[in-house]
Amino acid sequence: MGETMEKPLDGSALVPTKRRPLLPEAGAAGAPLITVIAVISFLACMSLAGFFLVRQAAQEWTSDLTGSITVQIISNSPADISRQTDAAAAILRTTSGVVSVKVYSLDERRKLLEPWLGQAEISDDLPVPGIIAVKVQKALRKDLSGLRSQLAEIAPGAVVDDHGVWNDSLAASARTGQILAFGIFLMIMLAAIAVIIYAARAGLAANKEIIDVLHLVGASDEFVAAEVQRRFFLLGLRGAVMGLALAILVLLFAGWALQGVEPSGYFLPAIRNQSGTLFWLIIVPLLMCTVAAFSAKRTVMRALAGRWSQ
Amino acid sequence: MIQESQKDRSILVKFDHVGLSYDGVADILSDVDMVIRDGDFRFLTGPSGAGKTSLLKMIYLAQRPSTGAVTLFGENVNQMPREQLPLMRRRIGVVFQEFRLLEHLTAFENVALPMRVQGVNQNEYAQDVTELLTWVGLGDRIFALPETLSGGEKQRVALARALVAKPDLILADEPTGNVDPIMGERIMRLLVELNRLGTAVIVATHDLDLVRRMKKNILRLKGGRLTLHGPLKERTHKPAAGQDQGAAASRSAMGAG
Repeated sequence: MGETMEKPLDGSALVPTKRRPLLPEAGAAGAPLITVIAVISFLACMSLAGFFLVRQAAQEWTSDLTGSITVQIISNSPADISRQTDAAAAILRTTSGVVSVKVYSLDERRKLLEPWLGQAEISDDLPVPGIIAVKVQKALRKDLSGLRSQLAEIAPGAVVDDHGVWNDSLAASARTGQILAFGIFLMIMLAAIAVIIYAARAGLAANKEIIDVLHLVGASDEFVAAEVQRRFFLLGLRGAVMGLALAILVLLFAGWALQGVEPSGYFLPAIRNQSGTLFWLIIVPLLMCTVAAFSAKRTVMRALAGRWSQ
Repeated sequence: MIQESQKDRSILVKFDHVGLSYDGVADILSDVDMVIRDGDFRFLTGPSGAGKTSLLKMIYLAQRPSTGAVTLFGENVNQMPREQLPLMRRRIGVVFQEFRLLEHLTAFENVALPMRVQGVNQNEYAQDVTELLTWVGLGDRIFALPETLSGGEKQRVALARALVAKPDLILADEPTGNVDPIMGERIMRLLVELNRLGTAVIVATHDLDLVRRMKKNILRLKGGRLTLHGPLKERTHKPAAGQDQGAAASRSAMGAG
């Protein structure tokens, strides 16, 4: 009889013993459920990362553009173009709110035309429009009417382009992308809730005997629900942290892999500068374990409330 | 009569014309009247299927009566809201034929369960749990898991669990059904000892030999009705046959359980 004695019979020696959870930690649903939550969390992270990347990229595009305007000088006479360009540049340099003025030389302007006209010699008679790239402060960018009328006086061929059309369509598509990404994120969280409710119900059925005994010895529904809640909180946390870790790896790898493809990738600036995005992904495990705990508790309370007794 | 029972604090359990039937199926219990008082020891006897377990279930609030009134500790539990049931159950300790221990918890943790679900700090009950396990003779198996225990040991853990919250009433449903006769005797003596210390005890059993030896009042159920309400008469000797019948009956109950 004495062979399995593990501790002295003094009650005080028993106190430090670890409190085991009352519901078996990894029941039949344990490992598969963690896997499902990990996958769901990974997808949630990716959709949320998509949301933030689109937002960041859109901000970078538009802030590039909103800090600049382009003045074109259009006329039929190359000489006129050259004269008006110089006059316009002079005015721009003295206008308050203008940060820098770059006048494109004829060679530079011809180079810009190459994609359309080929490398063939361009006739000197061809009136290639004058181009002045101007960096401006935001206040001036917002109200260009004064500058426009000033330019119109001395350079009637001047056309001020604030990239408004570009800006508007970029912002619109970025908004659409963000809404889409967030919608996907919400759908994924909805799936998570459904999975957890299903698992909580299955867990109630599988652990019926244990729950009956808990009720029998005087446990309230709240006590039982709290046990289930704690179990699902931990399951949700473990699964979600795994999903988050995988998502961060994938995002870092994507950023690294795209590093060499500098000029063409629209999302590149965002992906390379993504520490902000990665930080926000911490939302996913926090949300997932909260959702898991809350859904499980609610499911159990509702299931138990219908019974008079056990 | 009901008013009288509400005033009488010594009445723990009162059944008034209690009946039980499952959706139209034949009555399991009908017109049961009984009173259990502080310090009572009752055997609940009758053949298998007579309704012994159902009657106990109504006392430990696992079953609602179909008709009549069940009063526990002076309160009618028929219409009692679910939130109040745990407080009632904490005043009743139950022991089952099939033990109903949580297999993943040690003997100590199983015994501590009623305290734990009440949110009591472990420091406050560790000594009690240890002493109870020692009292039932399991002082050296405190950290054993149920799967490593024999039937008799499991039943003594279950008994300690039923006692730890110091209940006013102990119910035992065929407590000796799954243990050998010597251990059955020992468990029964623990229950009697407990009763001597002041706790009311109801033991459901169909082992009439045991009932006779203990010389206690009995409640006899037959066909869902309470037919005998008092001490079992000493029969003129039919010893061998009686004992065989009892043993055969408990074996068949084990098989059925």
